[in-house]
Amino acid sequence: MNQRITIDPITRLEGHGRIEIFLDDAGEVVSAYFQVPELRGFESFCVGRQAEEMPNITNRICGVCPEAHHIAAAKALDELFGTPCLPAAARIRELIYSAFFVTDHTTHFYCLGGPDFIVGPDAPKEERNILGVIRKVGLDAGKAVIACRARNHELIKKLGGRGVHLCGALPGGWSVAVTPEIADEARQIARQNIEFALFSLETFHRIVLGNAAYRDLVQGDLYAHQTYSMGTVDAHNAPNFYDGTIRVVDPAGNEFTRYRPQEYLDHIAEHVEPWTYVKFPYLKEIGWKGFVDGPASGVYQATPLARLNVADRMATPRAQAEFERFFDAFGCRGTGPGGRNSPVHHRLATHWARLIELLYAAERMQELADHPDLCDPKVRQAVSCRAGVGIGSVEAPRGTLTHHFTCDEHGILTSVNLVVGTTNNNAPIGMSIAKAAKGLIHKGVVSDGILNRVEMAFRLYDPCCSCATHAIGTAPLEVTVRRSDDGTILDRISRG
Amino acid sequence: MMVVIGLGSPFLTDDSVGPRVVRELAGEEHPGVRFVEAHAGGLLLLEELSGTRGAIIIDALLDENLPPGEVVVSGIQRASHNAACSHDCGLPEALDIGRAMGMPLPDDSDISLVAVVARDVTTFSEALTPEVEAAVQRACTAVRSILARKNAGSPAEAS
Repeated sequence: MNQRITIDPITRLEGHGRIEIFLDDAGEVVSAYFQVPELRGFESFCVGRQAEEMPNITNRICGVCPEAHHIAAAKALDELFGTPCLPAAARIRELIYSAFFVTDHTTHFYCLGGPDFIVGPDAPKEERNILGVIRKVGLDAGKAVIACRARNHELIKKLGGRGVHLCGALPGGWSVAVTPEIADEARQIARQNIEFALFSLETFHRIVLGNAAYRDLVQGDLYAHQTYSMGTVDAHNAPNFYDGTIRVVDPAGNEFTRYRPQEYLDHIAEHVEPWTYVKFPYLKEIGWKGFVDGPASGVYQATPLARLNVADRMATPRAQAEFERFFDAFGCRGTGPGGRNSPVHHRLATHWARLIELLYAAERMQELADHPDLCDPKVRQAVSCRAGVGIGSVEAPRGTLTHHFTCDEHGILTSVNLVVGTTNNNAPIGMSIAKAAKGLIHKGVVSDGILNRVEMAFRLYDPCCSCATHAIGTAPLEVTVRRSDDGTILDRISRG
Repeated sequence: MMVVIGLGSPFLTDDSVGPRVVRELAGEEHPGVRFVEAHAGGLLLLEELSGTRGAIIIDALLDENLPPGEVVVSGIQRASHNAACSHDCGLPEALDIGRAMGMPLPDDSDISLVAVVARDVTTFSEALTPEVEAAVQRACTAVRSILARKNAGSPAEAS
């Protein structure tokens, strides 16, 4: 008698998601799947519109990462209109984007991923949330989290023209220059962000790495996968969220390939499974070999951890120090090919990597805010329509985000393709869930704590599963154990 | 200051009713009222509510027991589907956090929900379904009525 366990909807991720776990007669896990009832048809909806509308349409795809879609679309328009972005406008875009990274990574650590460690993976579910974090870390920390989000959102509003769904992007530029007053404010916010990032890292070191049980969890095998890693790097192989070339390293740390975002179709293909709408991108040169690890499998990850794995260094000093500490902790520093770091394959380390990126984003904000030409008024330029193709790419917090537009001579879109951050990680998410489930569920015994540890396997990826936020009510979690032959419900656990 | 928040995506059929109502009302004279379009609940709404004395949230509601187009006015305990942001927390939890942090937030009783029962919130379209389109003015009237009642209780901002 086979059993089927369903976790639907998953807690603490953006959008809907469902985990299906199938047990054999002995109650052992046979397979597990991550399913997303994603909305479809967005690309078709965009065809026939004016291309310059895209930054303001795509930023409504998601309530969480509008900045990523806005900027990726703007970069696609730069190419589509044949107008490279003016330097001052590029600085504004990157400044906004860095502020966005600060807020997004802050939210994930304190609200989504952090509770598993700061409160504890086996703590009562009522406590595994941001309120539990505040109780553990202190009220002042909670105030710092709220203040961090608020000040960066306010800056994005001033620079981007609107708060939640910014509207400043133009082909080849930005709609409004930065005033000296806003530049001063940006500098002050950047300094505060750096202090906050350092505090967050100190908290992670003290509470997570300072706890032997948590350290073992992070460095153990349960959440480890040896896949390829992908991320955008600058000319010195440091991660860059706004611009650069895409670098892929193999599980041993060798550079496998490097390409311009415009060449993504030469390197990435998508596998389709009948049980989900979401596709599974893989490395075209290797091919799809199934949900398996290793250098012979085309599965790759594009996450904060992947971005550190593909990097040789960080571009800012404090982040560089933490980068070295990170690879030292896993015995990977300088042990890879040619003396570069070996990739870290322990996926729970993604939480630490995310905090290093938070620090980098804060430091990068400071660099941009201190730039002598930040207030340069030359942020707009005349553009004219032409038939062609535009591909824009950024590193979204959840992975490499690509917008691909084609338009006719009137600037009307004839095709649209979006590869969003979470889609890149669809295969590794499924693999991580399956491995955790197999390692944790035995003889059909399923507890709340076990299920949370299974959920931790996808939560580390910070998946954003829907083109629009549709979490109904209080997003309860229901686990249903079914007999697979006739669907009879054998047991049900609900929470939330 | 009061804040009126239209929740939803302008591109998902009836999910756009919140932003649509806000756009209708923003063109009118409403002293002391700030109009906002938003697409996610939780902590983001907390930031919009901070420093206000009251809020009205307009959103699409999925309820199989009510006909599409029905306008429901309630307190925030009748959680709006967008107000439950799974990326951080739901609105009631966000309010708890904000109050614990000492943020200046309105009482729960000063936060109203104007919900319009939706027929379709999954098809990409800028058009509302006919039932919800017909409900837009009724939703606007409900918001105006709440604003008038709140302003009657606060003469300093009523002028």
